[in-house]
Amino acid sequence: MSIEVRSVSKQFGDFHALDDVSVSLPTGQLTALLGPSGGGKSTLLRIIAGLEDADAGTVEIEGRDATRLPAQQRNVGFVFQHYAAFKHMSVAKNVAFGLEIRKVAKEEVRARVDELLRLVHLEQFADRRPSQLSGGQRQRMALARALAVRPSVLLLDEPFGALDAQVRKELREWLRHLHDEFPVTTVFVTHDQEEALEVADEIVVINAGRVEQVGSPDSLYDAPASAFVMSFLGPVTTLDGALVRPHDVELVAPGHGTGGRVARITRIGFEVRVEVRTAAGRTDLTLTRSAARARGIAVGEQVEVALVAGATSVPAPGAVARELLPAR
Amino acid sequence: MTAVAAPARNRRRPSTPARVGLGVGVLWFSVLALLPLVAVVVETSSAGWAGFLATITDAQTAAALRLTVTQALGVTAVNVVMGTLIAWVLVRDPFPGRRAVEVLIDIPFALPTIVAGLVLLSLYGPGSPLGIDVAATEAAVTLALLFVTLPFVVRTVQPVLAELDADVEQAAASLGASPLTILRRIVAPALAPAVAAGAALSFARALSEYGALVLLSGNLPMRTEVASVRILSYLESGDQTSAAAVATLLLAVSLLAIVALELIGRAAVRRG
Repeated sequence: MSIEVRSVSKQFGDFHALDDVSVSLPTGQLTALLGPSGGGKSTLLRIIAGLEDADAGTVEIEGRDATRLPAQQRNVGFVFQHYAAFKHMSVAKNVAFGLEIRKVAKEEVRARVDELLRLVHLEQFADRRPSQLSGGQRQRMALARALAVRPSVLLLDEPFGALDAQVRKELREWLRHLHDEFPVTTVFVTHDQEEALEVADEIVVINAGRVEQVGSPDSLYDAPASAFVMSFLGPVTTLDGALVRPHDVELVAPGHGTGGRVARITRIGFEVRVEVRTAAGRTDLTLTRSAARARGIAVGEQVEVALVAGATSVPAPGAVARELLPAR
Repeated sequence: MTAVAAPARNRRRPSTPARVGLGVGVLWFSVLALLPLVAVVVETSSAGWAGFLATITDAQTAAALRLTVTQALGVTAVNVVMGTLIAWVLVRDPFPGRRAVEVLIDIPFALPTIVAGLVLLSLYGPGSPLGIDVAATEAAVTLALLFVTLPFVVRTVQPVLAELDADVEQAAASLGASPLTILRRIVAPALAPAVAAGAALSFARALSEYGALVLLSGNLPMRTEVASVRILSYLESGDQTSAAAVATLLLAVSLLAIVALELIGRAAVRRG
Protein backbone atom coordinates (compact mmCIF):
# COMPACT_ATOMS: atom_id res chain seq x y z
CA MET A 1 0.00 0.00 0.00
CA SER A 2 1.33 3.39 -0.97
CA ILE A 3 -0.71 5.46 1.48
CA GLU A 4 -2.03 3.99 4.69
CA VAL A 5 -4.28 6.21 6.79
CA ARG A 6 -5.22 4.78 10.18
CA SER A 7 -7.89 6.13 12.54
CA VAL A 8 -7.32 9.75 11.63
CA SER A 9 -9.47 12.36 13.38
CA LYS A 10 -9.43 16.11 12.95
CA GLN A 11 -11.49 18.78 14.63
CA PHE A 12 -11.79 22.49 13.82
CA GLY A 13 -13.26 24.08 16.92
CA ASP A 14 -16.24 21.83 17.67
CA PHE A 15 -16.64 20.77 14.04
CA HIS A 16 -15.55 17.18 13.34
CA ALA A 17 -13.91 17.38 9.91
CA LEU A 18 -12.69 13.77 10.12
CA ASP A 19 -13.91 11.16 12.55
CA ASP A 20 -11.77 8.02 12.89
CA VAL A 21 -11.03 7.64 9.18
CA SER A 22 -8.97 4.71 7.85
CA VAL A 23 -8.18 4.10 4.18
CA SER A 24 -5.43 2.34 2.24
CA LEU A 25 -4.57 3.63 -1.20
CA PRO A 26 -2.70 1.17 -3.40
CA THR A 27 0.50 2.04 -5.29
CA GLY A 28 0.21 3.26 -8.85
CA GLN A 29 -3.53 3.82 -8.78
CA LEU A 30 -5.63 6.86 -9.46
CA THR A 31 -7.96 7.28 -6.50
CA ALA A 32 -10.76 9.80 -6.09
CA LEU A 33 -11.88 11.14 -2.72
CA LEU A 34 -15.51 11.92 -3.51
CA GLY A 35 -18.06 13.65 -1.35
CA PRO A 36 -20.08 16.78 -0.73
CA SER A 37 -18.45 20.09 0.22
CA GLY A 38 -17.47 20.23 3.88
CA GLY A 39 -17.43 16.44 4.12
CA GLY A 40 -13.76 16.27 5.10
CA LYS A 41 -12.17 15.02 1.88
CA SER A 42 -9.87 18.03 1.40
CA THR A 43 -8.85 17.86 5.05
CA LEU A 44 -7.87 14.21 4.59
CA LEU A 45 -5.79 15.09 1.53
CA ARG A 46 -4.08 17.94 3.39
CA ILE A 47 -3.30 15.65 6.31
CA ILE A 48 -1.70 13.15 3.93
CA ALA A 49 0.39 16.00 2.47
CA GLY A 50 1.41 17.32 5.89
CA LEU A 51 -0.26 20.68 5.31
CA GLU A 52 -2.55 19.93 8.25
CA ASP A 53 -1.88 17.94 11.43
CA ALA A 54 -4.21 15.17 12.48
CA ASP A 55 -5.51 15.30 16.05
CA ALA A 56 -5.26 11.52 16.25
CA GLY A 57 -4.24 8.62 14.02
CA THR A 58 -1.29 7.89 11.73
CA VAL A 59 -0.34 8.39 8.10
CA GLU A 60 2.09 6.07 6.34
CA ILE A 61 3.53 6.90 2.92
CA GLU A 62 5.42 4.17 1.02
CA GLY A 63 5.84 2.15 4.20
CA ARG A 64 7.31 5.07 6.16
CA ASP A 65 5.49 6.61 9.13
CA ALA A 66 4.88 10.21 8.01
CA THR A 67 2.57 11.33 10.81
CA ARG A 68 5.17 13.64 12.35
CA LEU A 69 7.08 14.50 9.16
CA PRO A 70 6.82 18.11 7.96
CA ALA A 71 5.39 18.67 4.46
CA GLN A 72 8.90 19.33 3.14
CA GLN A 73 10.06 15.77 3.83
CA ARG A 74 7.07 13.76 2.64
CA ASN A 75 8.07 13.79 -1.04
CA VAL A 76 4.51 14.52 -2.00
CA GLY A 77 3.39 16.54 -5.01
CA PHE A 78 0.43 18.78 -4.23
CA VAL A 79 -1.81 20.60 -6.72
CA PHE A 80 -4.18 23.27 -5.40
CA GLN A 81 -7.61 24.23 -6.72
CA HIS A 82 -6.52 27.81 -7.37
CA TYR A 83 -3.14 26.86 -8.89
CA ALA A 84 -0.96 28.52 -6.18
CA ALA A 85 1.36 29.79 -8.91
CA PHE A 86 4.52 31.66 -7.95
CA LYS A 87 3.36 34.85 -9.66
CA HIS A 88 6.74 36.59 -9.81
CA MET A 89 8.46 33.68 -11.56
CA SER A 90 8.28 32.54 -15.17
CA VAL A 91 6.52 29.27 -16.00
CA ALA A 92 9.88 27.51 -16.37
CA LYS A 93 11.07 28.90 -13.00
CA ASN A 94 7.88 27.68 -11.35
CA VAL A 95 8.51 24.17 -12.61
CA ALA A 96 12.20 24.34 -11.69
CA PHE A 97 11.54 25.54 -8.11
CA GLY A 98 11.55 22.16 -6.36
CA LEU A 99 14.67 21.06 -8.25
CA GLU A 100 16.59 24.27 -7.52
CA ILE A 101 15.85 23.87 -3.83
CA ARG A 102 17.31 20.38 -3.99
CA LYS A 103 20.46 21.92 -5.54
CA VAL A 104 20.14 19.82 -8.68
CA ALA A 105 22.77 20.70 -11.32
CA LYS A 106 21.69 23.50 -13.70
CA GLU A 107 21.92 21.35 -16.85
CA GLU A 108 19.80 18.63 -15.29
CA VAL A 109 17.20 21.16 -14.11
CA ARG A 110 16.91 22.60 -17.61
CA ALA A 111 16.52 19.16 -19.18
CA ARG A 112 13.88 18.08 -16.66
CA VAL A 113 11.93 21.36 -16.98
CA ASP A 114 11.94 21.04 -20.80
CA GLU A 115 10.73 17.46 -20.54
CA LEU A 116 7.88 18.39 -18.16
CA LEU A 117 6.79 21.45 -20.13
CA ARG A 118 6.56 19.23 -23.21
CA LEU A 119 4.54 16.72 -21.20
CA VAL A 120 1.98 19.37 -20.19
CA HIS A 121 2.08 21.08 -23.61
CA LEU A 122 3.44 24.36 -22.31
CA GLU A 123 6.88 24.34 -23.98
CA GLN A 124 6.17 27.57 -25.92
CA PHE A 125 5.10 29.34 -22.71
CA ALA A 126 8.30 28.69 -20.72
CA ASP A 127 9.23 32.38 -20.40
CA ARG A 128 5.71 33.68 -19.75
CA ARG A 129 4.40 34.75 -16.36
CA PRO A 130 1.60 32.61 -14.84
CA SER A 131 -0.70 35.64 -15.14
CA GLN A 132 -0.39 35.37 -18.92
CA LEU A 133 -1.76 31.81 -18.95
CA SER A 134 -5.36 30.62 -18.97
CA GLY A 135 -6.74 28.71 -15.98
CA GLY A 136 -6.27 25.34 -17.65
CA GLN A 137 -2.70 26.20 -18.61
CA ARG A 138 -1.92 27.39 -15.09
CA GLN A 139 -3.20 24.15 -13.64
CA ARG A 140 -1.04 22.15 -16.07
CA MET A 141 1.93 24.25 -14.98
CA ALA A 142 1.11 23.48 -11.34
CA LEU A 143 0.99 19.78 -12.22
CA ALA A 144 4.36 19.94 -13.96
CA ARG A 145 5.78 21.77 -10.93
CA ALA A 146 4.50 19.05 -8.60
CA LEU A 147 5.80 16.24 -10.83
CA ALA A 148 9.24 17.82 -11.29
CA VAL A 149 10.57 16.52 -7.97
CA ARG A 150 9.46 12.94 -8.80
CA PRO A 151 7.06 12.66 -5.84
CA SER A 152 6.13 9.23 -4.56
CA VAL A 153 2.49 10.33 -4.46
CA LEU A 154 0.64 13.07 -6.30
CA LEU A 155 -2.23 14.77 -4.45
CA LEU A 156 -4.71 17.04 -6.23
CA ASP A 157 -7.24 19.13 -4.31
CA GLU A 158 -10.26 19.86 -6.55
CA PRO A 159 -7.78 20.36 -9.39
CA PHE A 160 -10.39 21.26 -12.00
CA GLY A 161 -12.85 23.00 -9.69
CA ALA A 162 -11.99 26.54 -10.80
CA LEU A 163 -12.15 25.77 -14.54
CA ASP A 164 -15.10 26.04 -16.89
CA ALA A 165 -16.96 22.90 -17.96
CA GLN A 166 -15.28 22.42 -21.34
CA VAL A 167 -11.71 22.80 -20.05
CA ARG A 168 -12.54 20.62 -17.05
CA LYS A 169 -13.61 17.79 -19.33
CA GLU A 170 -10.50 18.08 -21.47
CA LEU A 171 -8.18 18.19 -18.49
CA ARG A 172 -9.61 15.17 -16.75
CA GLU A 173 -9.27 13.06 -19.88
CA TRP A 174 -5.75 14.35 -20.17
CA LEU A 175 -5.03 13.50 -16.51
CA ARG A 176 -6.29 9.96 -17.10
CA HIS A 177 -3.96 9.55 -20.10
CA LEU A 178 -1.06 11.09 -18.21
CA HIS A 179 -1.60 8.64 -15.39
CA ASP A 180 -1.76 5.68 -17.78
CA GLU A 181 1.58 6.81 -19.18
CA PHE A 182 3.26 7.66 -15.84
CA PRO A 183 1.56 5.61 -13.16
CA VAL A 184 2.54 7.60 -10.07
CA THR A 185 0.15 6.98 -7.15
CA THR A 186 -2.40 9.76 -7.48
CA VAL A 187 -5.20 10.91 -5.17
CA PHE A 188 -7.58 13.64 -6.19
CA VAL A 189 -10.41 15.30 -4.34
CA THR A 190 -13.65 16.07 -6.14
CA HIS A 191 -17.31 16.71 -5.41
CA ASP A 192 -18.24 15.88 -9.01
CA GLN A 193 -19.36 12.24 -9.21
CA GLU A 194 -19.05 12.21 -13.00
CA GLU A 195 -15.41 13.28 -12.72
CA ALA A 196 -14.72 10.53 -10.17
CA LEU A 197 -16.52 7.84 -12.18
CA GLU A 198 -14.75 8.81 -15.38
CA VAL A 199 -11.19 9.24 -14.13
CA ALA A 200 -10.61 7.10 -11.04
CA ASP A 201 -9.56 3.46 -10.66
CA GLU A 202 -10.96 3.54 -7.17
CA ILE A 203 -13.33 5.88 -5.36
CA VAL A 204 -13.45 6.64 -1.65
CA VAL A 205 -16.80 8.22 -0.79
CA ILE A 206 -16.47 10.55 2.20
CA ASN A 207 -19.37 12.23 3.93
CA ALA A 208 -19.67 14.07 7.24
CA GLY A 209 -16.11 13.16 8.23
CA ARG A 210 -16.52 9.41 7.65
CA VAL A 211 -15.75 6.96 4.87
CA GLU A 212 -19.08 5.78 3.41
CA GLN A 213 -17.73 3.26 0.92
CA VAL A 214 -14.58 2.32 -0.97
CA GLY A 215 -14.58 0.57 -4.33
CA SER A 216 -14.20 0.69 -8.08
CA PRO A 217 -16.51 3.07 -9.98
CA ASP A 218 -18.54 0.10 -11.25
CA SER A 219 -18.97 -1.57 -7.88
CA LEU A 220 -19.97 1.71 -6.24
CA TYR A 221 -22.51 2.44 -8.92
CA ASP A 222 -23.91 -1.09 -9.07
CA ALA A 223 -23.74 -2.00 -5.39
CA PRO A 224 -23.97 1.15 -3.28
CA ALA A 225 -23.63 0.43 0.42
CA SER A 226 -26.02 3.16 1.48
CA ALA A 227 -28.74 5.47 0.27
CA PHE A 228 -26.18 8.29 0.49
CA VAL A 229 -23.71 6.63 -1.87
CA MET A 230 -26.50 5.66 -4.24
CA SER A 231 -27.90 9.19 -4.42
CA PHE A 232 -24.51 10.87 -4.58
CA LEU A 233 -23.24 8.80 -7.50
CA GLY A 234 -26.14 9.40 -9.85
CA PRO A 235 -29.79 10.32 -10.27
CA VAL A 236 -32.26 8.44 -8.04
CA THR A 237 -36.00 8.10 -7.63
CA THR A 238 -38.26 6.04 -5.42
CA LEU A 239 -40.44 3.08 -6.33
CA ASP A 240 -42.43 1.03 -3.81
CA GLY A 241 -40.36 2.33 -0.89
CA ALA A 242 -37.01 1.65 -2.53
CA LEU A 243 -34.36 4.03 -3.88
CA VAL A 244 -33.72 3.16 -7.54
CA ARG A 245 -32.17 4.71 -10.64
CA PRO A 246 -34.61 6.32 -13.12
CA HIS A 247 -33.02 4.42 -16.00
CA ASP A 248 -33.77 1.14 -14.18
CA VAL A 249 -37.50 1.86 -14.19
CA GLU A 250 -39.59 0.79 -17.20
CA LEU A 251 -43.18 1.02 -18.37
CA VAL A 252 -44.83 -2.42 -18.24
CA ALA A 253 -48.05 -4.02 -19.45
CA PRO A 254 -51.15 -3.60 -17.19
CA GLY A 255 -51.13 -5.99 -14.25
CA HIS A 256 -47.33 -6.28 -14.10
CA GLY A 257 -46.33 -3.23 -12.07
CA THR A 258 -47.36 -0.26 -9.95
CA GLY A 259 -50.08 1.91 -11.40
CA GLY A 260 -49.84 5.67 -11.76
CA ARG A 261 -50.57 8.70 -13.91
CA VAL A 262 -48.04 10.52 -16.11
CA ALA A 263 -47.66 13.97 -14.55
CA ARG A 264 -44.94 15.48 -16.68
CA ILE A 265 -42.72 14.71 -19.65
CA THR A 266 -39.42 16.52 -20.25
CA ARG A 267 -37.15 15.89 -23.19
CA ILE A 268 -33.46 16.67 -22.83
CA GLY A 269 -31.53 15.81 -25.97
CA PHE A 270 -31.72 12.08 -26.59
CA GLU A 271 -33.32 11.44 -23.21
CA VAL A 272 -36.98 11.66 -22.21
CA ARG A 273 -37.76 12.04 -18.50
CA VAL A 274 -41.18 10.93 -17.36
CA GLU A 275 -42.65 11.78 -13.95
CA VAL A 276 -45.28 9.31 -12.79
CA ARG A 277 -47.58 9.92 -9.79
CA THR A 278 -48.34 6.66 -7.99
CA ALA A 279 -50.35 6.00 -4.86
CA ALA A 280 -47.05 5.91 -2.88
CA GLY A 281 -45.70 9.15 -4.32
CA ARG A 282 -43.59 10.04 -7.30
CA THR A 283 -41.48 7.83 -9.56
CA ASP A 284 -39.23 9.21 -12.28
CA LEU A 285 -38.06 7.18 -15.22
CA THR A 286 -35.95 7.89 -18.27
CA LEU A 287 -36.49 6.55 -21.76
CA THR A 288 -34.48 7.05 -24.89
CA ARG A 289 -36.15 9.33 -27.41
CA SER A 290 -36.76 6.49 -29.85
CA ALA A 291 -38.28 4.24 -27.17
CA ALA A 292 -40.62 7.03 -26.10
CA ARG A 293 -41.63 7.66 -29.69
CA ALA A 294 -42.18 3.97 -30.47
CA ARG A 295 -44.43 3.50 -27.48
CA GLY A 296 -46.18 6.83 -27.56
CA ILE A 297 -46.71 8.50 -24.18
CA ALA A 298 -48.76 11.50 -23.11
CA VAL A 299 -49.33 13.52 -19.94
CA GLY A 300 -52.39 12.28 -18.01
CA GLU A 301 -52.07 8.71 -19.32
CA GLN A 302 -52.54 5.82 -16.86
CA VAL A 303 -49.42 3.62 -16.89
CA GLU A 304 -47.78 0.90 -14.82
CA VAL A 305 -44.08 0.99 -13.85
CA ALA A 306 -41.67 -1.68 -12.59
CA LEU A 307 -37.93 -2.23 -12.10
CA VAL A 308 -35.91 -3.87 -14.88
CA ALA A 309 -34.25 -7.20 -14.06
CA GLY A 310 -31.00 -6.84 -12.12
CA ALA A 311 -31.67 -3.24 -11.13
CA THR A 312 -29.84 -1.69 -8.17
CA SER A 313 -32.00 -0.65 -5.28
CA VAL A 314 -31.58 0.25 -1.62
CA PRO A 315 -34.27 0.90 0.97
CA ALA A 316 -35.43 4.50 0.75
CA PRO A 317 -34.49 6.26 3.99
CA GLY A 318 -37.38 8.71 3.89
CA ALA A 319 -37.28 12.43 4.35
CA VAL A 320 -33.67 12.59 5.59
CA ALA A 321 -32.15 11.31 2.38
CA ARG A 322 -34.27 13.58 0.22
CA GLU A 323 -32.27 16.52 1.47
CA LEU A 324 -29.06 14.79 0.49
CA LEU A 325 -30.19 14.13 -3.05
CA PRO A 326 -28.14 16.22 -5.44
CA ALA A 327 -30.41 18.76 -7.13
CA ARG A 328 -31.07 17.65 -10.65
CA MET B 1 -15.80 44.70 -40.01
CA THR B 2 -16.63 47.81 -38.01
CA ALA B 3 -17.21 45.69 -34.94
CA VAL B 4 -13.66 44.35 -35.24
CA ALA B 5 -12.10 47.74 -35.95
CA ALA B 6 -13.87 49.56 -33.12
CA PRO B 7 -11.83 48.25 -30.15
CA ALA B 8 -8.58 49.05 -31.93
CA ARG B 9 -9.67 52.63 -32.50
CA ASN B 10 -10.76 52.87 -28.89
CA ARG B 11 -7.33 51.90 -27.72
CA ARG B 12 -5.61 54.58 -29.80
CA ARG B 13 -7.95 57.40 -28.92
CA PRO B 14 -9.57 57.42 -25.47
CA SER B 15 -13.32 57.97 -25.18
CA THR B 16 -14.63 61.43 -24.33
CA PRO B 17 -15.11 60.78 -20.57
CA ALA B 18 -11.61 59.32 -20.41
CA ARG B 19 -10.18 62.38 -22.16
CA VAL B 20 -12.00 64.72 -19.77
CA GLY B 21 -10.70 62.68 -16.86
CA LEU B 22 -7.15 62.83 -18.18
CA GLY B 23 -7.44 66.58 -18.73
CA VAL B 24 -8.74 67.28 -15.25
CA GLY B 25 -6.09 65.01 -13.76
CA VAL B 26 -3.23 66.72 -15.57
CA LEU B 27 -4.55 70.20 -14.70
CA TRP B 28 -4.98 69.26 -11.04
CA PHE B 29 -1.52 67.76 -10.86
CA SER B 30 0.02 70.78 -12.60
CA VAL B 31 -1.56 73.40 -10.38
CA LEU B 32 -0.94 71.53 -7.15
CA ALA B 33 2.44 69.90 -7.73
CA LEU B 34 4.21 70.70 -10.97
CA LEU B 35 3.82 74.50 -10.92
CA PRO B 36 5.21 75.03 -7.39
CA LEU B 37 8.08 72.64 -8.13
CA VAL B 38 8.98 74.52 -11.31
CA ALA B 39 8.73 77.82 -9.42
CA VAL B 40 11.22 76.55 -6.84
CA VAL B 41 13.66 75.46 -9.54
CA VAL B 42 13.25 78.77 -11.42
CA GLU B 43 13.86 80.73 -8.22
CA THR B 44 17.00 78.65 -7.63
CA SER B 45 18.30 79.27 -11.15
CA SER B 46 18.07 83.04 -10.70
CA ALA B 47 21.36 82.93 -8.76
CA GLY B 48 23.00 80.75 -11.40
CA TRP B 49 25.01 77.57 -10.93
CA ALA B 50 27.68 79.34 -8.88
CA GLY B 51 25.09 80.79 -6.52
CA PHE B 52 23.52 77.35 -6.07
CA LEU B 53 26.90 75.77 -5.28
CA ALA B 54 27.81 78.58 -2.91
CA THR B 55 24.58 78.06 -0.95
CA ILE B 56 24.76 74.30 -0.58
CA THR B 57 28.48 74.26 0.23
CA ASP B 58 28.06 76.85 2.96
CA ALA B 59 29.34 75.05 6.06
CA GLN B 60 26.14 75.39 8.12
CA THR B 61 23.85 74.48 5.20
CA ALA B 62 26.01 71.54 4.15
CA ALA B 63 25.96 70.23 7.72
CA ALA B 64 22.17 70.53 7.84
CA LEU B 65 21.82 68.72 4.51
CA ARG B 66 24.22 65.97 5.55
CA LEU B 67 22.36 65.46 8.84
CA THR B 68 18.98 65.39 7.07
CA VAL B 69 19.98 62.89 4.40
CA THR B 70 21.84 60.52 6.75
CA GLN B 71 18.99 60.65 9.29
CA ALA B 72 16.41 60.02 6.54
CA LEU B 73 18.40 57.05 5.24
CA GLY B 74 18.86 55.57 8.72
CA VAL B 75 15.23 56.06 9.70
CA THR B 76 14.06 54.53 6.43
CA ALA B 77 16.28 51.49 6.95
CA VAL B 78 14.82 51.01 10.44
CA ASN B 79 11.29 51.40 9.03
CA VAL B 80 11.88 48.78 6.35
CA VAL B 81 12.67 46.23 9.06
CA MET B 82 10.29 47.34 11.83
CA GLY B 83 7.43 48.29 9.49
CA THR B 84 7.51 44.93 7.75
CA LEU B 85 7.70 43.20 11.12
CA ILE B 86 4.71 45.12 12.51
CA ALA B 87 2.71 44.49 9.32
CA TRP B 88 3.57 40.78 9.62
CA VAL B 89 2.44 40.61 13.22
CA LEU B 90 -0.78 42.50 12.45
CA VAL B 91 -1.67 40.20 9.54
CA ARG B 92 -0.29 36.82 10.55
CA ASP B 93 -0.45 36.66 14.33
CA PRO B 94 -3.86 37.82 15.48
CA PHE B 95 -3.44 38.82 19.14
CA PRO B 96 -5.78 40.44 21.63
CA GLY B 97 -5.69 44.19 21.21
CA ARG B 98 -4.80 43.98 17.52
CA ARG B 99 -7.59 46.40 16.62
CA ALA B 100 -6.29 48.96 19.08
CA VAL B 101 -2.80 48.72 17.57
CA GLU B 102 -4.32 49.11 14.09
CA VAL B 103 -5.74 52.49 15.15
CA LEU B 104 -2.64 53.58 17.09
CA ILE B 105 -0.40 52.99 14.06
CA ASP B 106 -2.18 55.80 12.24
CA ILE B 107 -1.82 58.35 15.04
CA PRO B 108 1.40 59.83 13.59
CA PHE B 109 -0.61 60.36 10.36
CA ALA B 110 -3.49 62.01 12.15
CA LEU B 111 -1.62 64.16 14.64
CA PRO B 112 -0.61 67.70 13.53
CA THR B 113 3.18 67.43 13.44
CA ILE B 114 3.71 70.35 15.81
CA VAL B 115 1.50 68.55 18.33
CA ALA B 116 3.66 65.49 17.82
CA GLY B 117 6.63 67.71 18.50
CA LEU B 118 5.07 68.93 21.74
CA VAL B 119 4.28 65.40 22.87
CA LEU B 120 7.83 64.28 22.14
CA LEU B 121 9.26 67.29 23.95
CA SER B 122 7.22 66.66 27.09
CA LEU B 123 8.08 62.94 27.04
CA TYR B 124 11.76 63.01 26.05
CA GLY B 125 12.78 66.60 26.78
CA PRO B 126 14.07 68.23 29.97
CA GLY B 127 11.80 67.18 32.83
CA SER B 128 10.88 63.92 31.08
CA PRO B 129 8.62 61.78 33.27
CA LEU B 130 10.53 58.76 31.93
CA GLY B 131 13.88 60.22 32.89
CA ILE B 132 15.00 60.24 29.27
CA ASP B 133 16.24 63.58 28.01
CA VAL B 134 17.41 63.61 24.41
CA ALA B 135 16.65 67.28 23.74
CA ALA B 136 19.13 69.11 21.51
CA THR B 137 20.88 65.92 20.39
CA GLU B 138 20.90 63.99 17.10
CA ALA B 139 18.89 61.31 18.85
CA ALA B 140 16.05 63.83 19.11
CA VAL B 141 16.00 64.14 15.32
CA THR B 142 16.02 60.36 14.90
CA LEU B 143 13.25 59.91 17.43
CA ALA B 144 11.00 62.53 15.85
CA LEU B 145 11.54 61.12 12.36
CA LEU B 146 10.89 57.55 13.50
CA PHE B 147 7.65 58.72 15.09
CA VAL B 148 6.22 60.47 12.04
CA THR B 149 7.36 57.87 9.47
CA LEU B 150 6.21 54.80 11.41
CA PRO B 151 2.96 54.16 9.46
CA PHE B 152 4.32 54.27 5.92
CA VAL B 153 5.91 50.84 5.51
CA VAL B 154 3.33 49.20 7.78
CA ARG B 155 0.45 50.56 5.74
CA THR B 156 1.90 49.71 2.33
CA VAL B 157 3.02 46.18 3.28
CA GLN B 158 -0.04 45.18 5.31
CA PRO B 159 -2.60 44.87 2.47
CA VAL B 160 -0.15 43.04 0.21
CA LEU B 161 0.68 40.59 2.98
CA ALA B 162 -3.01 40.04 3.70
CA GLU B 163 -3.63 39.27 0.03
CA LEU B 164 -0.74 36.79 -0.11
CA ASP B 165 -2.17 33.35 -0.75
CA ALA B 166 -1.45 30.76 1.95
CA ASP B 167 -1.65 28.13 -0.81
CA VAL B 168 1.44 29.57 -2.48
CA GLU B 169 3.56 29.14 0.63
CA GLN B 170 2.18 25.64 1.19
CA ALA B 171 2.96 24.74 -2.42
CA ALA B 172 6.56 25.82 -1.84
CA ALA B 173 6.69 23.80 1.40
CA SER B 174 5.42 20.63 -0.26
CA LEU B 175 8.10 21.12 -2.94
CA GLY B 176 10.66 20.93 -0.14
CA ALA B 177 11.32 24.60 0.65
CA SER B 178 12.30 25.40 4.25
CA PRO B 179 10.51 28.27 6.02
CA LEU B 180 13.57 30.47 5.41
CA THR B 181 13.64 29.62 1.71
CA ILE B 182 9.91 30.32 1.44
CA LEU B 183 10.47 33.70 3.10
CA ARG B 184 13.38 34.54 0.82
CA ARG B 185 12.11 33.24 -2.51
CA ILE B 186 8.31 33.48 -2.25
CA VAL B 187 7.26 36.02 0.40
CA ALA B 188 10.04 38.64 0.10
CA PRO B 189 9.73 39.10 -3.68
CA ALA B 190 5.98 39.46 -3.31
CA LEU B 191 6.40 42.14 -0.62
CA ALA B 192 9.37 43.95 -2.18
CA PRO B 193 7.40 46.48 -4.28
CA ALA B 194 5.25 47.39 -1.27
CA VAL B 195 8.27 47.69 1.03
CA ALA B 196 10.03 49.87 -1.57
CA ALA B 197 6.97 52.10 -1.94
CA GLY B 198 6.67 52.48 1.84
CA ALA B 199 10.39 53.18 2.13
CA ALA B 200 10.17 55.88 -0.56
CA LEU B 201 7.31 57.60 1.28
CA SER B 202 9.11 57.31 4.57
CA PHE B 203 12.36 58.70 3.13
CA ALA B 204 10.62 61.64 1.44
CA ARG B 205 8.74 62.47 4.62
CA ALA B 206 11.92 62.29 6.72
CA LEU B 207 13.72 64.67 4.35
CA SER B 208 11.02 67.29 4.68
CA GLU B 209 9.93 66.93 8.32
CA TYR B 210 9.81 70.15 10.33
CA GLY B 211 7.11 70.32 12.99
CA ALA B 212 7.77 67.11 14.87
CA LEU B 213 11.48 67.71 15.43
CA VAL B 214 11.76 71.48 15.63
CA LEU B 215 10.91 71.65 19.35
CA LEU B 216 12.92 68.69 20.60
CA SER B 217 16.03 68.99 18.40
CA GLY B 218 16.95 72.48 19.56
CA ASN B 219 18.05 73.41 16.00
CA LEU B 220 21.71 73.85 16.95
CA PRO B 221 23.69 74.96 13.88
CA MET B 222 26.22 72.34 12.71
CA ARG B 223 24.77 69.81 15.14
CA THR B 224 21.00 69.27 15.17
CA GLU B 225 19.76 71.71 12.58
CA VAL B 226 17.96 69.97 9.66
CA ALA B 227 17.45 71.21 6.09
CA SER B 228 13.84 72.33 6.54
CA VAL B 229 14.83 74.51 9.50
CA ARG B 230 17.67 75.90 7.41
CA ILE B 231 15.19 76.80 4.64
CA LEU B 232 13.04 78.67 7.13
CA SER B 233 15.99 80.64 8.49
CA TYR B 234 17.00 81.63 4.93
CA LEU B 235 13.44 82.82 4.33
CA GLU B 236 13.39 84.72 7.61
CA SER B 237 16.54 86.58 6.56
CA GLY B 238 14.91 87.42 3.20
CA ASP B 239 17.14 85.12 1.12
CA GLN B 240 14.52 83.36 -1.00
CA THR B 241 17.02 82.16 -3.60
CA SER B 242 19.13 80.27 -1.08
CA ALA B 243 16.01 78.77 0.47
CA ALA B 244 14.97 77.61 -2.99
CA ALA B 245 18.44 76.16 -3.62
CA VAL B 246 18.21 73.93 -0.52
CA ALA B 247 14.68 72.96 -1.50
CA THR B 248 15.81 72.03 -5.00
CA LEU B 249 18.56 69.82 -3.63
CA LEU B 250 16.11 68.07 -1.30
CA LEU B 251 13.81 67.59 -4.27
CA ALA B 252 16.58 66.01 -6.33
CA VAL B 253 17.64 63.68 -3.51
CA SER B 254 14.02 62.69 -2.93
CA LEU B 255 13.45 61.96 -6.60
CA LEU B 256 16.67 59.96 -6.78
CA ALA B 257 15.64 57.89 -3.75
CA ILE B 258 12.17 57.17 -5.13
CA VAL B 259 13.57 56.02 -8.47
CA ALA B 260 16.28 53.94 -6.78
CA LEU B 261 13.79 52.25 -4.46
CA GLU B 262 11.45 51.51 -7.35
CA LEU B 263 14.34 49.85 -9.21
CA ILE B 264 15.38 47.88 -6.11
CA GLY B 265 11.77 46.72 -5.68
CA ARG B 266 11.59 45.50 -9.26
CA ALA B 267 14.97 43.80 -9.10
CA ALA B 268 13.92 41.95 -5.95
CA VAL B 269 10.80 40.68 -7.72
CA ARG B 270 12.82 39.45 -10.68
CA ARG B 271 15.45 37.77 -8.54
CA GLY B 272 12.94 35.61 -6.63
